Amino acid sequence: MSGNQINRRDFLKIMGWSGAGVALAGCDRPTTVTLHEGKEEVVSYLMPEEYVIPGVGVYYATTCQQCPAGCGIHGRVREGRVLKAEGNPDSPVNYGKLCQMGQAGVQGHYNPDRMTKPHIRKGGNLVEASWDEAMALLKQKVGPDSGLAGDRFAWFTGQVSGHQAVLVNALMDSLGSERHYVHEVVNNAVTRAVNKDMLGVATPRYRIDEAKAILSFGADFLGAGQSPVHYATEYATFRTGDRGVLMVAEPKMSLTGANADLWMAVRPGTEGVLALGIANELVIRHKRKIDNLPAEVRDLITHYDLDTTAQITGVAGDRIVKATQWLHSRTPSLVLAGQSAENQAHGYQIAAATMLLNMVLGNVGRTIVPGTELPFPQLAAKQGGTADLRAFAKAVEQGAYDAVFFYNTNPAYTAPSYMKLAEKLQSKVGFKVVLTQFPDETAKQIADLVLPLHSPFEDWGTHVAASSYDEAVISMQQPLMEPLYPTTRGFGDIVLDVLKMRDSDNYGQYADYYAYLSQAFGALSADWQKTLQTGLLKVEGQAQRINAKAVKVSLPDYKQNAEFPYHLVPSARLGLWDGRHANIPWLQEAPDQISKVVWDSWAEMHPATADKLGVSTGDYITVTSDQGTIETQVYVFNGIHPDVVAVPMGQGHEEYGRYAKGRGVNPLKLISPKHDAKTGELALYGTRVKVAKAGRSEALVRMGGPGRNEAQLGRKLVATVTADVYRRTEGANDVA
Amino acid sequence: MSLKNILENWSQYRRGHEQGGHHEYEHMWGMAIDLNKCIGCNACSVACYAENNLAIVGKHRYSKSQAMHWMRIERYWDEPELEKAGLVTKGKTIETGASFLPMLCQQCNAATCEPVCPVAATYHTPDGLNAQVYNRCIGSRYCSNNCPYRLRYFNFWSYYEDSWPEPLHMQLNPDLSVRDKGVMEKCTFCVQRIRVAKDEAKMADRKVIDGEFQTSCQQSCPTDAIVFGDMLDPQSRVTKLWKTHQVELGKSKQSKQNPDKRGYRVLEGLNTDPCIMYLERVREV
Repeated sequence: MSGNQINRRDFLKIMGWSGAGVALAGCDRPTTVTLHEGKEEVVSYLMPEEYVIPGVGVYYATTCQQCPAGCGIHGRVREGRVLKAEGNPDSPVNYGKLCQMGQAGVQGHYNPDRMTKPHIRKGGNLVEASWDEAMALLKQKVGPDSGLAGDRFAWFTGQVSGHQAVLVNALMDSLGSERHYVHEVVNNAVTRAVNKDMLGVATPRYRIDEAKAILSFGADFLGAGQSPVHYATEYATFRTGDRGVLMVAEPKMSLTGANADLWMAVRPGTEGVLALGIANELVIRHKRKIDNLPAEVRDLITHYDLDTTAQITGVAGDRIVKATQWLHSRTPSLVLAGQSAENQAHGYQIAAATMLLNMVLGNVGRTIVPGTELPFPQLAAKQGGTADLRAFAKAVEQGAYDAVFFYNTNPAYTAPSYMKLAEKLQSKVGFKVVLTQFPDETAKQIADLVLPLHSPFEDWGTHVAASSYDEAVISMQQPLMEPLYPTTRGFGDIVLDVLKMRDSDNYGQYADYYAYLSQAFGALSADWQKTLQTGLLKVEGQAQRINAKAVKVSLPDYKQNAEFPYHLVPSARLGLWDGRHANIPWLQEAPDQISKVVWDSWAEMHPATADKLGVSTGDYITVTSDQGTIETQVYVFNGIHPDVVAVPMGQGHEEYGRYAKGRGVNPLKLISPKHDAKTGELALYGTRVKVAKAGRSEALVRMGGPGRNEAQLGRKLVATVTADVYRRTEGANDVA
Repeated sequence: MSLKNILENWSQYRRGHEQGGHHEYEHMWGMAIDLNKCIGCNACSVACYAENNLAIVGKHRYSKSQAMHWMRIERYWDEPELEKAGLVTKGKTIETGASFLPMLCQQCNAATCEPVCPVAATYHTPDGLNAQVYNRCIGSRYCSNNCPYRLRYFNFWSYYEDSWPEPLHMQLNPDLSVRDKGVMEKCTFCVQRIRVAKDEAKMADRKVIDGEFQTSCQQSCPTDAIVFGDMLDPQSRVTKLWKTHQVELGKSKQSKQNPDKRGYRVLEGLNTDPCIMYLERVREV
């Protein structure tokens, strides 16, 4: 024990780290530490504290930070170290379940390549520094005497919520800045904009569990979506009893597509046509009434008859008829749009067309329902997209900022190469502070000051999920163990320190972020100890109000491109996500769900396309856009449109750590400068490429390996039964 | 297992699994996996890595089929059942997505791996588990060779330093060992969790309650596709599921009253008597 102001026993006792663990461990050993008004009795070291009884694991509640979904977790702690993350059954986000990324949180925490010391760039190199030096530099550059004008400062972060968002805002207020760019590559920004315009709310509640038929236009809600665990639990309900039908239309099979009853390979960018074509079928064949839609929308729908739709989208007419039949006969249904549909140059129009289809089907109010919102808008999640990345790159180019703080984001890796973001930042922004846990590209290549953060398992925080669920909750983040390194610090603590430099009147009273948080909870009249034990503060939410309003859409004609004949799909994976988990060995070794490839990049290609090029699985190809070229191995399979080449995001790191660096390729670098006119979001799925044989070949490393684990060879390994039989035998009652 | 004991109880030892097996079982841990719910997301597999100290082998060793994934998600593109019934045409099934199959040790009651072990490192416990005693294992790999499911994993290397460089080693679960070079390993049904539950039940002088603990894969599964429990407990969820879907232990061919019931065991005809029942995937056709 260090003998500093507060010792560890006080620290833990004050924060009520007790009941949850004891209750779960199910033991009644005496508590040996007692407190009288904050003072500790003398207790022999021979009497272990309850959380260090050898051999007994205790569980503390916190919030997963592996993706923006915000699942509740119970961290298993034994002898003072966290061993495993498990789902928190009380969380309305994940109901006690956890995805592979959440499981792998411990490997981020114990990662051997963590940033452990502050670094200051001197003469082009990052040099290790002490916290005193780091804070002195911060004071010099952004302190009250720095002369930094408010509008010359910006935040650039990933999604933030809860009290971290409050602090981010507070720092901007104290500086007089108004710019906070929020950047997430895996996002639903276009859908949010469409929802705002057509429903009046950006994030309504989607009832996948209530739907009897779902048509997803590239919405990978089971995989790289907004809340994969939550929607997977709803999917389980969707598939039991009367068993809903899942249809997916997308250019490359996602995890959701791999679970579809009808998977349709749609030509990228024509998803809107398919949606309106189905709407037209509903009107003509099934006599659906669309009088409530504006005349111009009704008129537009009539343009897309079956043959035209099939011709434009590349989806066979009989499949469109079948999908329409299911949507018509199985109500309520639900139509979802996801990234491959909405991240096109006319993505807003496509997403709006899918929402029109929802209106034709009468889904608004049935499977798209008002959600529950937190009554504290200042705590709400600040959701990101790529429009902010574009806006930021432009502002930097114009020399708009003298100081930028980066947190929870890695734009040097995720920004397309055409933006030349790293170079511009280096030359145009004088002071770049990167708050990070890892020596990633942004830290290594552009930072002037790198501040090493605690891992999420060592830090305090509160989180509010972006998606709407049954209940509104504030999800707690608390340290599961002592920090591994004495020289990392919490995000809130650092921001508070900067705030204190600028505004000591308001913030000088808080010793640290913990003090700030507990006081904030006092203001909410919340029971701090109980909240820490359960990990959740459930609050009386405000119901959203939905007002459906059709908007006019206009869908451009599909154009071929002779020079770049293929579409690039930079697919997101539930695993490496946007590349943030590339240095987690479990997730590198976990096979991609579809191709089963491990530890590398690959390019998915249709057999017909592969034949045309004369390549097969394992051969190297080059994929070239107007922005550059990448070279990777081919995986040939049927679940992709013949005009598409799909290279997953996540690999191709130049920095980051031993598991990530120099492995595979980064398709984001190829993205062409196109964006959705309405929302400003990058057309991530709108890049055209050409493909050529690279002339070398080696075995593609994946589960099963060549010729194995692809076919059942007539054996009854995965046995199958028809849905009719299932409904007859198990029907409405779930026997499990 | 003294010689005297064996001679005195010879008739019991001669019992095959059809007559209830070698032991007077205390438990019979079993599982049911619903392929209608499984989405192939891989959560179970990584949860298993986290719980059971599974080594990371890296790209090169992975390419040599040396990966240690006790729980793996196999993915197939064809569907022999539907093809046989003429409901889908071969090569066309891509329109209905993939077929995912979570594969873990089937904890066979007539395990093909057990009798070939020259040192009895793999044997059947009174819990119905197919156990692997690491200390006894001499690495002959006969068991792996004899497993029709390919679910035994051999430590060709000493992975400790490669797989858990400091401070990653602090994540290791102290409830079970890290296996070293020359030792066979495989899914244990999270035997360390079973042990805790049994001890707690014993201390409280009660039976293990169905659902009071979960295997790691079951716990993380977002769709609740995996159900685990004691098949000797008539009230357990897993027993009821086996009963509902008309699958019985101790048979190499099930005689279902209702052939539409979805239960089946993988490669059951090999007479391995697995303790894992799968529920058939459901397809719209």
